[in-house]
Amino acid sequence: MELRVTESSDDELSIEIGGEDHTFMNVLKGALLEHDDVSAATYDMNPEQSGGQTEPILTIKTEGGVDPLDALEEAAVNVREKTTAFREAFEAAA
Amino acid sequence: MTEEYDVEFVEREDRKARFLVRGVTPAFANGIRRAMIADVPTMAIDTVRFVENSSVMFDEQLALRLGLVPLTTPPEGEFTEDDTVTLSIDVEGPATAYSGDLVSSDDLVQPADENVPIIELKDDQRLEAEADAVLNRGKDHAKHQGGVAVGYRHLQRVEVGDDVPEFEEQERRIVRGVIEEDGELVPTSEFDHDLTNRYPGKEVRVEDVPNAFVFHVETDGSFTVDELVTRAVDSIEARAIELEEAVQL
Amino acid sequence: MMVPVRCFTCGNVVGEHWEEFKARARDGDEDPAEVLDDLGVERYCCRRMLVSHTDLVDVVSPYQ
Repeated sequence: MELRVTESSDDELSIEIGGEDHTFMNVLKGALLEHDDVSAATYDMNPEQSGGQTEPILTIKTEGGVDPLDALEEAAVNVREKTTAFREAFEAAA
Repeated sequence: MTEEYDVEFVEREDRKARFLVRGVTPAFANGIRRAMIADVPTMAIDTVRFVENSSVMFDEQLALRLGLVPLTTPPEGEFTEDDTVTLSIDVEGPATAYSGDLVSSDDLVQPADENVPIIELKDDQRLEAEADAVLNRGKDHAKHQGGVAVGYRHLQRVEVGDDVPEFEEQERRIVRGVIEEDGELVPTSEFDHDLTNRYPGKEVRVEDVPNAFVFHVETDGSFTVDELVTRAVDSIEARAIELEEAVQL
Repeated sequence: MMVPVRCFTCGNVVGEHWEEFKARARDGDEDPAEVLDDLGVERYCCRRMLVSHTDLVDVVSPYQ
């Protein structure tokens, strides 16, 4: 996973997340949208044929003076907690 | 933010299972499904060295067939992506070479199915080859895809209403998947997927239960369903941890 | 030529069941649909792999 910030301001961040596809990006986007201080989150991925960039670019917009990078970190933690909770629930049933 | 998930098995075998998960978002459910198909590494033959092949098929055709044979995948951590396991096959005609004739150098990596015909050999035909199996993901080649026909559907809740008007012809009401009836889970195959078989002469209303998904998971024999699901979840978790650490820097 | 190892569409291993399917439904007189149900080949993508297959090894082997 290679990160490269393409655009950054106080409440907005665009970051390229190398090597990922919809599998992780959509989960991450979903987690970001559940975050209280995130007003908008999306990712953009072009298929190789379209000639544009192929690595996903995640864009986050926050409100209330929250650093988008902190929101991203908290979303990553949230995804990790979800996977742990899912594994525990699955193993309890199995 | 703590998540509350609840998993319940509807159907359960080693290679095939259906289970209900409550409390997942569609994004997370889809992440798990995609990870099961493309991101869980399995062993498969990748390189074949032919010593003798006098059969009716070309070397590369046989190599493809050998690659598609599912191999049991060792427990996590036993192998890394670069390790190889050598399997050899030596069959002389008249006979048929089966996947079960593959002799592995490692007990953990064995053909998962033994009766897959590789090639039928006639008199004086012979197949002798050595093959290297590697660990890789379904994203790179379909032969490394451990999950077969992995998918999910919403859990459906059925509400039984009034009687159908006396002289009205009742139309069939097809539902596929699993329905919930007073907390009981009923696979629709029990009533031939037709709600009018289960509730004759009644009006029914079907609605999706929010955030409840019934997963259907099958594996090609590389590992059990439990193993596939846990490894898929692990792969998402590994990426979340990687991102977390990368952002902290 | 030889029976495909896996179903083209879903990736399920169908080669495993070929010999039994052939013995019971082709050479034997059982109903192919029942044999497939019995073998656990459920989806129609996998079923067509076995139903529509023809072994050609005997046909091409004289020309080797």
